[in-house]
Amino acid sequence: MEKKQLIISVGREYGSGGHYIANKLAEIFSLPVYDSNLMSDLASENNLYLHKLSKYDEVPKKHLLSRTVCGYSNSPEENVANLQFNFLRKKASEGKSFVVVGRCSEDVLSEFKGLITIFVLADMKDKINVVRKNENVSASVAEVLIKQMDKNRKTYHNYYCKGKWGDSRNYDLSINSSKLGLDATAEFIADYIRKRTDN
Amino acid sequence: MLPQVIAVAIFIIMFGLVITEKIERHIVTLFCGLLTIVVLFGLCMRSTDAIMQTLNVRTLFTPEFWYNAGSSEDGSTGINWATILFIAGMMIMVEGMALVGFFRWLCMSIARLVKYKTIPVFITFMLMSAILSMFIDCITVILFLAAVTVELGRLLKFNPVPMILSEIFCANLGGAATMCGDPPNIIIGTSLGYTFADFVVNTGVIVLVALILVVVYFYFFFRKELTANNSDIDIANMPDPKKVITNKKGFIIHTLIFFLAVALLVTHAMTGLTVAFIGVFIALLTLIAAGKKAPTLIAKADYKTLLFFIGLFVVVGGLEQTGILEIISAFIGKISGGNPRLIVAIIIWISAVASAFIDNIPFAATMVPVIKSLAETENVSLAVLAWALSMGTDIGGNATPIGASANVVGTSVAAKKGYPISWRRYCVSLVPPTIMVLVAATLMIWFRYL
Repeated sequence: MEKKQLIISVGREYGSGGHYIANKLAEIFSLPVYDSNLMSDLASENNLYLHKLSKYDEVPKKHLLSRTVCGYSNSPEENVANLQFNFLRKKASEGKSFVVVGRCSEDVLSEFKGLITIFVLADMKDKINVVRKNENVSASVAEVLIKQMDKNRKTYHNYYCKGKWGDSRNYDLSINSSKLGLDATAEFIADYIRKRTDN
Repeated sequence: MLPQVIAVAIFIIMFGLVITEKIERHIVTLFCGLLTIVVLFGLCMRSTDAIMQTLNVRTLFTPEFWYNAGSSEDGSTGINWATILFIAGMMIMVEGMALVGFFRWLCMSIARLVKYKTIPVFITFMLMSAILSMFIDCITVILFLAAVTVELGRLLKFNPVPMILSEIFCANLGGAATMCGDPPNIIIGTSLGYTFADFVVNTGVIVLVALILVVVYFYFFFRKELTANNSDIDIANMPDPKKVITNKKGFIIHTLIFFLAVALLVTHAMTGLTVAFIGVFIALLTLIAAGKKAPTLIAKADYKTLLFFIGLFVVVGGLEQTGILEIISAFIGKISGGNPRLIVAIIIWISAVASAFIDNIPFAATMVPVIKSLAETENVSLAVLAWALSMGTDIGGNATPIGASANVVGTSVAAKKGYPISWRRYCVSLVPPTIMVLVAATLMIWFRYL
C-alpha cells in the first residue's frame, strides 16, 4: 500500500532549537528536510545563481523600497519568497513527504491533507544560551540578535500569511522546548505525529 | 484658505496611500476623487461649476474631442478623457497582438536575425525596446522582452540581468520620444494640445541623441558580464520564431492594425483625428478582428489603471480649482528669478528626482497646470516647459527600481525567473546613465530653445 503523504512544518523562534527538532523529526520519520538548503535545490533545478537567491531567504519585504504594478512587484524579497512557496507547493503536489522549517509553510501548504504544523518556542534564557554558543557572542548581543531575528521572522511571516506568526491558533501544536529539552521535545512531537498518522 | 487646505490634504492622503500600497491604487484615487467632489466642491466650495468642470463629461460630446488634432480646450481641467480613451484603446490593441504571439515572435525573430550572438542580441533588444515603447506602453514591451531575455540567457548561457536593465532604460527612453509612448506624455500632449509630430521633432530628437549615448554606455558597462560564459551556439537547436505564432491569420490582422495605429498617430495632426478617436477606433477594429475572443481582450485590459487615472484627474482638479497649482508655479517663478534657463532646469530636475521615487503619472498630471501657469506669468514658452516636464518625468523614472512601471515589471519578471535585482545593483547600473541623459536633455533644451 502506498504510504500516506506526511509534511511536517516547523515554525520556530530564533534559538529555540526548532531547527534541531526539525532535523530530529526528519531522522525519526526518514524524511528530507527543507530549510535554507531549499535555495540550493531551487537554484540547481533552475540553473540559477545560489548566492543571489540566498541573501533574500526569509527576509521581510522592504515596503518603502517596493512598488507593485499590475500584480508585478520589484521586491526581490517578495519574489524570492514566492519562488520558495511555489517550490514547496510543487514538491507537495508531487505527493512527496518532507519536513520544512519556517518559510510560511503552515500557510502555504495548508491545502495538503498530510500537513502537520508545529511551532517551537523557548524561554529567553535558554534561547540566549543557544545563540551565545552557536554565534559565539555575549549574552546581551545574543538577546538583541534574538529579538531582531524574531521581529524579522514575524514581519516576513505576517506579510504572506493570514494567521499571525507564533499564534498558537495557527498551528496544530505549539511547544516550549525549554520544558522537556530538545530531544525529549522532538520525541514528544514524534509521538503526536504518530498518533495523527498511525505511522 | 479652507478649500486649499482640504485640496492639499486630500492630495497628500492620496499620495501617501498610493505609496504604501495597503489599498489598491485605483480604489485610493477614486475614493479621494469622491472626497474632492463631495467635501471640497460640494460642502466647502458649494460649486457645481467646479464639479462639472472637473468631471469634464461635456467634452466627450463636442465634435472637437473626436476630430480636431491639437485642440487643448478643457484638456487640463479635470478628467482628461482623451488620455483615458486612448490608453484603453491601446491596451486592447496590445492584448490582441499578445494573443496571437506578436511580441514573442518579434523577439525571437530578431535574436535569430543576429544569429543568437550575445552582444548583437543585447544591442538590438535595446533598440527594439526603445522603438516599441514609442508606440506601445512600456509595461507590455518589458513584459515580453524580459521574459524572452531570460529564456535566451538560459539557452545562450549569459546573465540576463544586464540586458533586462538596459531594456528597462531604453523602454523609458523610447517612451519619452512620442506623445503615446509614456503616460506622462499622453497627459502633457492631450492637455496642452501637442501632436505626435510635435513630440517627435522635440523630445524625439533629444531621445535619439540620448539613445546613442546610452547604447554606447551600456555596451562598455556590461560587455564583460555578458560575454563571460559564451560558447558556440547551434542555431538549429534554437526555438523557431514561427512556432510562437498562435494564429497566423490573426497575427497578420493584428499586425496590420498595429501599423494602422502607428500611421494614424503619426499623421493625426494632418488628418485632424484626435488621439481619443484613434484609441476608440483601433480598439473597435481589434475587437472585431478578435471575434469570439473579444470579451477576453476586454477582460484583460487593465481597467484598474483607467480607474486610477479617473480618480487622479479629479483630485488634481481639486488642486487646480482651489488655485494651489498657481501658488506652486508662482513659487517656481520666484526662486528662478524669471530666468528661463533656471526654470527649465528646475522643471527637468525636480520632475526627475520626484519621478525616481514616486509614480510619474500623478506628478505629470499635477505639473501640467503648473507649467501652464508658469508660461503665462514668467513669459517662457509653454512648449519648452512641456518638453522639459516630459524629459524630466520620463527619464527620472529610470533612476530607481520603483521610478517607473517598466522598472517594476522588468525587475519583477527577472526575479520571478530566479534573478532578483537589488536596489544597489539597479542603481549602480542605471543612475549614471539617468544623470547623463538628464544633463544632455537640459543642455539640448537650453541651447535649442533659449
